[in-house]
Amino acid sequence: MTTLRDLLTRQREYGVLALLLLTLAVVGAINPAFLKIGNLRDMLVQDAPVVIVACGMTLVVVLGEIDISVGSQMALLATVLGLLTSPSHAHWPVATAVAAALGLGTLLGLINGLLVTFGRMPSIIVTLGMLTVLRGVSLALLNGQDITDLPVGLRVFGIGTFLGLPISLCTALVVVGLTVALARETPLGRRIYAAGSNPEAARLAGLPTPRLKLFAFTLTGFLTAVATIVHQTQFSVIQAGVGQGFELLVVTAVVVGGTSISGGRGTILGSFLSALMLGMVGSMLIFLRLGVSATYWERAIQGAFILVAVLADHLARQRRPRREAAP
Amino acid sequence: MTSTTPFVQISGLSKAYGGVPALTDVSLTIEAGDVHALMGENGAGKSTLIKCLSGVLSPSAGEVRVDGSILAPGDLRAAERAGIAALHQESTAFPHLDAVDNIFVGRELRRPGGLLDRPRMKRETQALLDRLGERIDLNRPLEELPLAQRQMVGLARALSQRSRLLIMDEPTASLSTRETEILFRIIRQLQSEGVAILYISHRLEEVFALASRVTVLRDGRLVETRPLAEITRDGLVRLMVGRELLAEEQSEDYAAQGEAILEVRHLTRAGQYHNISLDVRAGEIVGLAGLIGAGRSEVATAIFGIEPPDTGTVAIQGQVLPPGSVPAAIARGVALVPEDRQKQGLVLPLSVGSNLLLAVMKSLTTRGFRSPRKEQETVARLMQGLSVKAAGPAIAANTLSGGNQQKLSLGKWLATKPRVLILDEPTRGVDVGAKAEVYRLIRRLAREGMATLLISSDLPEILALSDRILVMRQGQIAGELARQDATEEKILALALPSGPQEALI
Amino acid sequence: MKLPRGLPGRQELVLLGLLIGLLLLAGRLAPDFLTARAQIELSTHVWELALLALPMTLIILTAGIDLSVGSTMALCAVVFGLTFHAGWPVALDAALALAVGAAAGALNGVFVAFVRVHPLIVTLATLAAYRGIAEGISLGVPYSGFPPSFAFLGQGSVGGIPVPGLLFLVALAAVAVIVKFTPLGLTLSAIGYNETASRFSGLAVTRIKLWLYTGSGLTAGVAALLFAARRNTAKADIGTGMELDVITAVVLGGTSIFGGRGTLLGTVLGVLLIHETREFVSWEWSRDELNLIVTGSLLLVSVLADSLLSPKKR
Repeated sequence: MTTLRDLLTRQREYGVLALLLLTLAVVGAINPAFLKIGNLRDMLVQDAPVVIVACGMTLVVVLGEIDISVGSQMALLATVLGLLTSPSHAHWPVATAVAAALGLGTLLGLINGLLVTFGRMPSIIVTLGMLTVLRGVSLALLNGQDITDLPVGLRVFGIGTFLGLPISLCTALVVVGLTVALARETPLGRRIYAAGSNPEAARLAGLPTPRLKLFAFTLTGFLTAVATIVHQTQFSVIQAGVGQGFELLVVTAVVVGGTSISGGRGTILGSFLSALMLGMVGSMLIFLRLGVSATYWERAIQGAFILVAVLADHLARQRRPRREAAP
Repeated sequence: MTSTTPFVQISGLSKAYGGVPALTDVSLTIEAGDVHALMGENGAGKSTLIKCLSGVLSPSAGEVRVDGSILAPGDLRAAERAGIAALHQESTAFPHLDAVDNIFVGRELRRPGGLLDRPRMKRETQALLDRLGERIDLNRPLEELPLAQRQMVGLARALSQRSRLLIMDEPTASLSTRETEILFRIIRQLQSEGVAILYISHRLEEVFALASRVTVLRDGRLVETRPLAEITRDGLVRLMVGRELLAEEQSEDYAAQGEAILEVRHLTRAGQYHNISLDVRAGEIVGLAGLIGAGRSEVATAIFGIEPPDTGTVAIQGQVLPPGSVPAAIARGVALVPEDRQKQGLVLPLSVGSNLLLAVMKSLTTRGFRSPRKEQETVARLMQGLSVKAAGPAIAANTLSGGNQQKLSLGKWLATKPRVLILDEPTRGVDVGAKAEVYRLIRRLAREGMATLLISSDLPEILALSDRILVMRQGQIAGELARQDATEEKILALALPSGPQEALI
Repeated sequence: MKLPRGLPGRQELVLLGLLIGLLLLAGRLAPDFLTARAQIELSTHVWELALLALPMTLIILTAGIDLSVGSTMALCAVVFGLTFHAGWPVALDAALALAVGAAAGALNGVFVAFVRVHPLIVTLATLAAYRGIAEGISLGVPYSGFPPSFAFLGQGSVGGIPVPGLLFLVALAAVAVIVKFTPLGLTLSAIGYNETASRFSGLAVTRIKLWLYTGSGLTAGVAALLFAARRNTAKADIGTGMELDVITAVVLGGTSIFGGRGTLLGTVLGVLLIHETREFVSWEWSRDELNLIVTGSLLLVSVLADSLLSPKKR
């Protein structure tokens, strides 16, 4: 008979879902306005970019790597998108600019992937370097001036709706659905998990691990572009400082969702649920009516989540008896 | 059985790693339906030969022909298509994936459109496992299954490749007797289907039981290929070592021993071992036998302080050790030579000298600072005493052969002047020559008063070295045998789970 | 004593070469940059980075990492500012700030050494948590108005050398002696290469890790005080991005992120190279973005070169 503790520690997804529902219930009880459709929708829309990128990041971490440059990627992509579409700058047609942004995002991910696989560099270092370089490039492009005249045709991605749901929400759901299908039902997905689970065995089995990693990084870059397009276009201004701390949110979502940094283990679903939960923290602090100062604690709580998640992992490890032992 | 073209023909195969030859001009043929044994000391080139055959490595010279056509070198897929499959020594399973994925990843069955055909893969997996007589939960990730089942999945994967040449590298190293029996049955079945098997093992009994021909390699070269019917056990050993084997001579009579140095009382840890009590006297070698998974290594690491027990005490010369502290154990004179010398015993990228100093560094300091003189003396003394074959103390430990690495793993403890020596599989993966040296060393230490606890799965080894043998079964001590009464059968009788005696091969 | 095989020699030579090249270039384009006075003035920007690079080197040697140093700095600074404004004596405030730093580091250490979580994850969490707490307790308010006796710590000099510089030199000497002449150097390397075997050899792995991260936190506290003394301000946003600069300097200096190999000399050169590059770019072109691009590229190029030139598997 599985106890509640069993569920929480063994199947991380159940634990996160439970926590998610619990939070909704508790905060909703204290302040029912929290559960109004408008608020829920706003939270989800705010969360969409994290969800989208976390899908790609999950695969990267499953393979035993990491990408902390997604925030800076977003900064550069937003800047380029703004510069290309703004009437006072390049004033390209929106469709072309969007295509260019998607292409650029894919390219950035590809560069990360190439440096990690063929450059044989550790991903923490590669993405650390890229994080710095890309932020510098985006600042240089902005040259101190915010972009304030984004055309309506572009902003529709951020504020428009499709079948009544905001586009960012639809996009996020589609991305999650496709990535889950990729992970579970395609050979590519299975091979990614295999390569993450035992790299040496993967090599002996003839699996093309470098190409798998290349795919994961490139996908993450592409998804970052998608996230930028549906999120940054909500605002009328593109300024320096876009995407600061974004990578932290994404990695937190992935880790809290049960993906292990040592590779092989982790689900898209877990990252998705965990991203939702993290996205609620900021809103939660407001609705609990703890005062203006409470919102300053948002970051602290996000950090605390990771620590709780790893403690839960630790407890789970303790409980699992060593399988080699006699029954 | 014979046709004009042999099934697999290896001609003039050579492989050098950066100028250092690992394999030189090796030629042999393997016939379909044959079990062909490949033997040789560690470093003789067996591993390299296998890797060239299975496409992991590209040879520097020579060729491999399968059914007359040349096999593309260094190409895993080509080897697979030619029907060559390898069951490797190291774990090749994916712990986070379930059994089905483990068997099929890389060769997935697909539906039209590219998606996985899960029902078909599941059915085939079930069929394979039925053939092996294993019932496995197909939905659980492999890491949640018992070790033996995981090994079987690995075997199933190799079988699922419908290969024509199956290369098995030490396949019984981690198997229980029952599984070994099943493996042998499968091998015979495969033989009757015309599958050729290249069988690598250090275990002479297995080779004589299974194989029809044996190829011996030494120092990367072919020594000889002979039918097993024409050779004796000693003759085979002589081919591998190039000299008469001296080990396993009975040692002197039961030497007078002192008092108990190591006293273990009621050591218990849930799920691993229960109520373990034992004594080891000065000058005594106590063997600890048992099946894999009986809990022997866990007891050893508990005594040494790596993983504290739930209850129970360990006392050295009457003083109880604080549990869970390795430095405390070392300070009181306990030394553990662990099971896995690469992961636990040595820091391979460091030099030989550094490795020898690791355990003893602190005691060689003067007021906290290192003393190069004392360190050099210690290292030189140890290297000489162990006759470690290496160019000097500065070379990296990962360049040494397995036997020399084992000597290093053991030797680093001698500098701490221990009173209790715990050895966990001290000659696993060690060639015959180095084995003899290790035996001599163990005996010499015992004569000088060392209390030794010897854990080994090698029954002849335990019988030759131990003054007394304790047998563990499923986490408990099942019985004790004095040297004069002990036989392999009696040890196994105690080690096997209670029930009707299983017939051995 | 000799740190184990790897490429420390080559990396340091390359760094030295780059450094000399840079200084020659600076000499051609802006000779004023190279005067002793200018250099000393500019050096005030680097001491916090240099100090933090010392424990970071040791941590990375053990195959660990500490992403929380910038946030710990912020937390310590805020504690200092808060207590100062509450009217408590400066010395006590400083002591408290240091204690908080050590405690913050110790928490990291407990998770890494006892709960055995990957340091990347722990320090990523505390990077968020500590800065979050700093933001929470200070509400974004900047503290200032520290007494001149305190400011001396950051702005004064003794015999021409800035006080923070002296602190750094003393710390460097102490750490260098300990690493080279006591067993700690070899111990750290062994832990980085193979932690399991290190435990089996009786090395006090858990205790060492705990001390390393505590030390890193304490150093962050010192860095916070130096910053506050230098700039007369303590706020929750200081030290943002500091951890990346420190790690860049250490890895640039030849310490392998996988652990086992690395030298303090390399770290010093790495810090120097980053510092001189940054200051020169500011001096000549005064555009911050260029700095980011140059620092990031330096890191990528140097590690890539090292990786491609050494044919061993990583």
